[in-house]
Order: sequence, then C-alpha cells, then structure tokens
Amino acid sequence: MRLLVVEDSPRLRRSLGTSLRQSGYAVDLAGDGEEGLWLATSNEYDAIVLDIMLPKMDGLQVLSALRSRGGRAHVLLLTARDSVSDRVKGLESGADDYLVKPFALEEFLARVKALCRRAYGQKQDVMKVGDLEVDMLKRLARRGGRPIELTAREFMLLEYLARRRGEVVSRTEIENHIYDGQIDPISNVIDSAICSLRKKLAAAGDESLIHTRRGMGYVLEMSNEEIG
Amino acid sequence: MKSLRRHLTRTLLGAIATLGGAGLLALILAARDKVIDQFDDALRTKAFVISTLTKPGPDGVRVEFTDRFLQGFDDRRPRDFFEIWDPAGRQLARSESLGKIDLELRPGLGTKPRFWNFKLAGGQAARATGFTFVPKAPAGATAGQPLTLIVASRSSGLGEDLSQLLALAVATGATLFIATLWLIPRVLKKGLEPLARLGEQAAAINSNSLATRFPVNALPEELRPIAVRLNDLLARIEHSFERERRFSSDVAHELRTPLAELRTAAECALKWPDARDSATDRETLAIAEQMEGLVAHMLALARSEQGQLDARRETISLGTAVSLRWGRFAERAASRGLEVELDLAEVAVEADPALLRSILDNMLENAVEYACAPGLISITVPVDGGELVRIANSVDDLAPADLPRLFERFWRKEAARSGGRHFGLGLPLARAFAEAMGWRLEAVMRTSDVFEIALLHPTNASPARPS
Repeated sequence: MRLLVVEDSPRLRRSLGTSLRQSGYAVDLAGDGEEGLWLATSNEYDAIVLDIMLPKMDGLQVLSALRSRGGRAHVLLLTARDSVSDRVKGLESGADDYLVKPFALEEFLARVKALCRRAYGQKQDVMKVGDLEVDMLKRLARRGGRPIELTAREFMLLEYLARRRGEVVSRTEIENHIYDGQIDPISNVIDSAICSLRKKLAAAGDESLIHTRRGMGYVLEMSNEEIG
Repeated sequence: MKSLRRHLTRTLLGAIATLGGAGLLALILAARDKVIDQFDDALRTKAFVISTLTKPGPDGVRVEFTDRFLQGFDDRRPRDFFEIWDPAGRQLARSESLGKIDLELRPGLGTKPRFWNFKLAGGQAARATGFTFVPKAPAGATAGQPLTLIVASRSSGLGEDLSQLLALAVATGATLFIATLWLIPRVLKKGLEPLARLGEQAAAINSNSLATRFPVNALPEELRPIAVRLNDLLARIEHSFERERRFSSDVAHELRTPLAELRTAAECALKWPDARDSATDRETLAIAEQMEGLVAHMLALARSEQGQLDARRETISLGTAVSLRWGRFAERAASRGLEVELDLAEVAVEADPALLRSILDNMLENAVEYACAPGLISITVPVDGGELVRIANSVDDLAPADLPRLFERFWRKEAARSGGRHFGLGLPLARAFAEAMGWRLEAVMRTSDVFEIALLHPTNASPARPS
C-alpha cells in the first residue's frame, strides 16, 4: 500500500512516516500544500493523510484541487480543529475520514488501514485465495494452515496482490504501491521479488498461485480461475 | 421584604383602610354636627319665638301663641316643651305638653342660648336650650324683670337619623374596602408586569445566553435605567466570557499539534523501539520547549489583559536599547539576505526595562521573520520624541486588510504553524506591554510593499498615513 502524508510539522510528519512504514506501507511525505498536491496528482496512492493547516495551500484547498482533477484516493484529514462544523466542512470537501489531534497512534493506523481496505472494496482483514490466507491484521500468511515466512517487503507485495486478486497487476503499479517509486525502472527488483514470493508460496502448497501475464504483469489466483 | 407586590398590597390596603376610615369618621362627625346644628337652630327659633311672644303681665307673664302656630307644645302631640322662670326661681309659665313633669332649671344661664341633652321622665332622649331674656313690655308700660326660658324637644328622631347615617357610612366603607381589596392586587399585578417580565428575563440568562439584551424602549421609564445598566453589565460579562472561552480554545487548539507530535513520537518509540534514534529525544525536548514558550506567552498576555502587569519606570536610552536587542537578530537577518539600515538617536525614555525589551524583541523578530528576502529593514529611533521606535520592512504577501488582524492572538498570515517557531502572540503581547506603559503600538502599510510598525507616545497615536 502506498500512502502520502502531507503535514507541515516536521516532527509529526517524521513520526507518522516512521509508524506507517513500520506498519508495512510505502510512504511519501510532503511538508506543504503545493508539494502535497503535486505528489497526489503525480502518483497513485491508496490513501492520503492530509493536514488542514498547511503552508502555501491549506488541506481543504489541496483536497478540492485533487478531486477536481479526478483524484480518487481516499483521504484522511488531520486537524487541530475539532468543532462539528469543521468536521462537516472537511467531510463535505471530499474527505473520507477525519481525525483530530492529538490522536492515538493505533487509532490513526486503524483508520488508515480502513481507508486502504475501502480502496479495494474489502471489509475483511483476512483474505483467502484458494488455500492461501493473508491476515492483514497480524501481517501473517498461511497456506493450508501452515505459516509462510515472508520479509516485510514480500508481505507488502503479497498483500497488494491479494487485495487485487484475480486482477492483472502491472510492474508499474507494484513499483508505485510497494517501492515508493524509488527503484530503477530498468532493474529487475520487482521480478526478483515476485520470483522469491512465488517460491515461498509454492513451497507451502501444491498449486502455483502467482501467474505471469507476459507483457502485462502478474495475477494472484487459483489455476482454475486463470484468465484464458 | 420577600415580595414587592405583597408588600405594596399590604401597605396600600392599610393606608387606604386608615385614610378611608378616618374620612368616613370625619364625615359621620360632620354630618352629626350638622344634624345637631339644624336641630339646635330649630330649638333656638322656637325659643326666640316664645321669648318674643312672652309679655309681662300683672301676675307674671303671658305667652301669646296658638297651637296652630306651635303645635308641638300642646298636650295632644307633646314633642316640644317650655318653662319660664322669674329670677326668684318661681315658675311663671309652662307648656301644656309638659303635663305633670318639669324641666330642670339650669343655674347660670345668660342671654346667649346654651344647649344640653337630658332624659325626659319616661327615659326618652330630649335636647334643651335655655337663656335669660327681658320680655318686651307694651308701649308705655314699664319693662318687666329678666326671665329664664328653657325650651326642649324630644330628640329620639335625631338619634335615629344619626344611627342611619352611621350604618350607611359603615356599609359604604366596608363595600369600598372590599372593592379595594379585590382591585389593588390586580392593579399592582398589572402595573408591576414589566418588572416581573424583567425579572423573568434576567432569571433566564445563563452562561450560554449572555448575548441576551433587555428591550429598553419597551420598558416603562422607571425601569429603563436598570435595563440599560443590566445591558451594559451583560455586554461586559459576555465580552469577558468570550475572551475566556477564546483563550481556552486558543490554548487547546495551539497545544493540539505539539501534543500530537509528542504522543505520536512516544507511541512510535514504544511500538518500534528499533526505529528510535537520537533525534527522537531532541525532538521531544524541542516540543516541550515549544509548549513551554506557548504557555509563557499566553500567561504574559493574560496577565497583561487582566491589568496585572506592574510596569516599573526607569530612564533608558532608547537608541542603545534598540541596538542591543538588534544584536540578537542581526545574524538571522543576514542569513535571510536582508539589508539593515539603523538610525538610532539617543533618546531617554521612562520605561520598564523588561517590558521594553520584550516589545523591541517582538517588533524586531517580526521584521526579520516576515520581511521578504532579499529585502530591507529600516530601524529608526527619531530624535524628535513623537515616535519612539519605527521599524519598516519590505513585504510581498501582506495586504492592508491584514493590518487589523496583526494584533489578534494566534493570527498568522499562514494558517500553518511555521514549524512551531511562531505562536502568533508576539505582536499582541508587544501591544499589551506598550499599553501597560501608556504607549501605543500601531502598524501601517507605508506602500504596497513596505510594512511599518511604530511604538508611539499616546499623543502621537497614528503614524503618518501611507503615501
């Protein structure tokens, strides 16, 4: 999952970035409204954490501009304003959720997670593809009930594929959502990661679940669900 | 006094009952006197008639009148009586109506009639008059001796009249009292309605309805001064409450972000200890210092607004003071690419050193932080003491419409917090400190790109208008 955090307080921005990365998200950070809008319109984010009081361009202006340009990413507004009218104004501007400072980190992470689920139209924390179970809450993967040892990056990749199970996921999408867009376009990092993940999944079960669509990308599904 | 209406009702009823009773009593007494006077007039007339008709005779006196003339004196309808005595006390004449009874001869009667009450033999009430007179002798005869005449009439009719009058007066008084008893509470209730409404409106006011004002023009003239004063009081309380609410709200709002920073950093460090680095502790300290600074500024401002600042007076050289304070900001100005022009005259002022220091720091910091770079800052202490200190700096994002808001608490041109470096309290604090010393702090746009702030004596409240 790739997130954008737009927050003018460097200390809070840093803490939020750390906590989100530690929770398995790819995170981009911006310190003012203009930079935030530029990033939001230049990349595809699963969710955006947006402070309202921002230099250069406030959060509500960023949100309006993003929506007017067709940006559909789910937005969590962060603000020190807690009146009902402020909340209503924020939500009516196109935000999906609203969190008042100061907040509990667990609540913040839970709300971000809920927004990411909504991004893929899912309501469950455990996703199943055949005998594969991906537990988003515990960040565990099992196959046939047996746990699979995965690195954080591998789990993020599996989670992303699982959220889009049955869909062909391009390399660019994986790059944008898992790798903060920081990898060399001509490197084979993604192919290597897919290969490693595929091996670990295959070792735990009989059937291959990650299938390559040549020239298009990858799809996570049971063989009998393969696209013809 | 628990109820004004009850108190007024009791007082008015008491007063009306007393005055009404006294009035009725006076009326009764006057009417009684009048009736008695009329009775006495009639008695006197009868007596004078008898005295006129009394003639001296060879064996005493002769009374010449007929029953038709004075019917009450005959023995058929005995209502009136008379007797005449000579100076020796011998009875000379008497009315037939007396029958066997006698009237009492009162000693010491003179020529002026005297009146008295007495009881007839049957116990009936009667009233008499008596005087001495000399009967008029016929022409050529010698005048007779002085005689005493007593004339009396039954007065039982008079008593009945007086009783009826008293009964009528008592009945009238009782009726009036009952009517008053019914009327006064209602009149008072109606008359005191505006006061009752005022009381109800006042009772309905609480901390959430301090914007309420009493309709002064709709009130009676007597209550208007009260309503005006109450409205003034409400306005002051509302202003005070609003200021307190805003203060609390401002503090809470401004503390939310540093608290969020602190809480998130702490939770992050606890949840992922491996991700914690030395920067975390430095940032925690910075957050604490930021909150401490915010609280210190807020407290200073609150104390200033509550008039708790006790400004001392010392003679201070203003040029030197500005030069010393500028030393703290020179480096920052240079790093921002700002040029500085100093024109500092040595002017002596009476000021509180701490307050002046804070005012100068805030004015200088404002110029250094918000001047557009590259740009110019001009700091002047004029020789002529009209303006104390004048600081002008170039700006590119300040509009004349922003000027009134410069001195509002927590107002910043940028809604964001500038990384916690600025609270939006510097200029409000500087103005409050200036006012505590009897000075003023005012700001103008000298031109569209030059902002000027000046510390002034009260007599020079407004800097020159922008050209």
